[in-house]
Amino acid sequence: MNTLEINGLRKEYVDHYTGETIPAIGEVTFSIGEGEFVSVLGPSGCGKTTVLNIVAGFIDHTAGDVLVHGRSVHGPGPDRGVVFQSHALFPWKTVLGNVTFGLRMKGVPRAQRDVAAADILELVGLSGFERKYPHELSGGMQQRLGLARVLVNEPEVMLMDEPFASIDAQTRRKLQQDLTEIFEKRRPTVFFVTHDIDEAVFLSDRVVVLSHRPSTVAEIIDIELPRPRIWRETVEDPRFREYTHHIEERLGGGEPDAQAG
Amino acid sequence: MTTIDSPARSVGRVRPRPGPRRGTEAVWFAVPFVLLVAIWWLVVEVTGTTARTFPQVTDAIAALAEMAASGDLARHLGASVQRMLIGAVLAVVTAIPFGIALGSSPRLSAFFSPLLRFSVALAGIAWIPIATLWLGYGDRAVIFIVWNAMFFALTYNTVLGVQQIPVQTVRAARSMGTRGPRIVWEVLLPGALPSIVTGLRIGLGYGWRGLVAAEIIATNAGLGYALFLAQSQFDTGVIIASMVIIGVLWLLMDRLMLAPLERRTVERWGMKAVS
Repeated sequence: MNTLEINGLRKEYVDHYTGETIPAIGEVTFSIGEGEFVSVLGPSGCGKTTVLNIVAGFIDHTAGDVLVHGRSVHGPGPDRGVVFQSHALFPWKTVLGNVTFGLRMKGVPRAQRDVAAADILELVGLSGFERKYPHELSGGMQQRLGLARVLVNEPEVMLMDEPFASIDAQTRRKLQQDLTEIFEKRRPTVFFVTHDIDEAVFLSDRVVVLSHRPSTVAEIIDIELPRPRIWRETVEDPRFREYTHHIEERLGGGEPDAQAG
Repeated sequence: MTTIDSPARSVGRVRPRPGPRRGTEAVWFAVPFVLLVAIWWLVVEVTGTTARTFPQVTDAIAALAEMAASGDLARHLGASVQRMLIGAVLAVVTAIPFGIALGSSPRLSAFFSPLLRFSVALAGIAWIPIATLWLGYGDRAVIFIVWNAMFFALTYNTVLGVQQIPVQTVRAARSMGTRGPRIVWEVLLPGALPSIVTGLRIGLGYGWRGLVAAEIIATNAGLGYALFLAQSQFDTGVIIASMVIIGVLWLLMDRLMLAPLERRTVERWGMKAVS
């Protein structure tokens, strides 16, 4: 059984002014297996974040099914952990308070929470920052914390909504490398939304390319680059360029978005 | 956003300010008051104003000393502070839950918002006649006025605070299994706190003024009543002394309650700019 299955997903909005029905997601079907890293890639405004929000249970859909381990999704739940672009940390909680939030909601005893938190903070490189508040961290560290806050709960699937889009290029590279290492170590199941082609190819086992609105799946590409992946080596692999060129063409004109690459 | 993946520069600001700097601050805080008293003394001295119109600094100090010695000061102060406390606590426990309920429902807040803004303008003093009709002359009417003066401003700011919480923050909590009333405690209340503190500051200001006004009219103890009594006896020394006490108490409330509350919460969390 697949960890996440999206079958014939459709979403329509009703425009408040004209009363017209506007299709946002035409028809999206794909699935993610256990421990697989899948990126959903598409031009800006193609509805990829809408797909993620539906899977997260934040908004409802018009037709189709979203199944996590065969169970239909209704509303948000701890089986699906979300890493937001805006990190959405709790500013009134310390680093430790943010990381242990989900475990506390689950009723995990304090001693156990602290052990789990120490382990995850070590993994994302935030050991020693337990007592800091989010505003005292840099943008990159905030996003590491956003990742740790979800990882620690060991959700069935992790949903990542352009987590590195608002981070400067240098830090982004480092975060992409670190995310890859964390993924290779822990093998969570990841649904990753991005508009950055290089990022999608570097991180993923498979890339789902969406078309313009109303979005449909244009193509699903298996990324057969060896792991462990190291940014410098992986980008020099001729297959890496083949994948990115192919996707650029697929998205039409090689300039799917200003920030690609 | 910093370029390097390292802690931002604000780290050093978490700790309370060191002693010497706070001392200098206290001096600068006192300077305008010292100047005001100096001008007061000079003007009364030069113009030869009589105590019937305006007391000399020394008259006011003498009046204050006499109030303290006779026990009047303690009696009035005690009555005022007690009423203020009860009224403020009632306002906090009613306005914050009400504001959170309104803030988390777009329909409710759309319905009540115009009414709230209307009521903020009327709150407190304008209610004194009706309060005395309902509750008679005494503590209850004054407490009602303090509560009423605070309630609308505090509710209004709580609503704003809840509405300012980013939708992603609430979503993050929900996706980690936060359900039902727990959302209020874990997210809505702390998230709205910067604005709630603003509401508290505005509300306490209204409440304090409402208290003095209500005491002038509706009771026989308290700082407002001391003002009223002194006026009927043409005792300008007591009038000015009472006014000074009212002002000083407000400053103390602000410095000893609100400022530490802000330092420990919204400032420490880096949320101050939100309000």
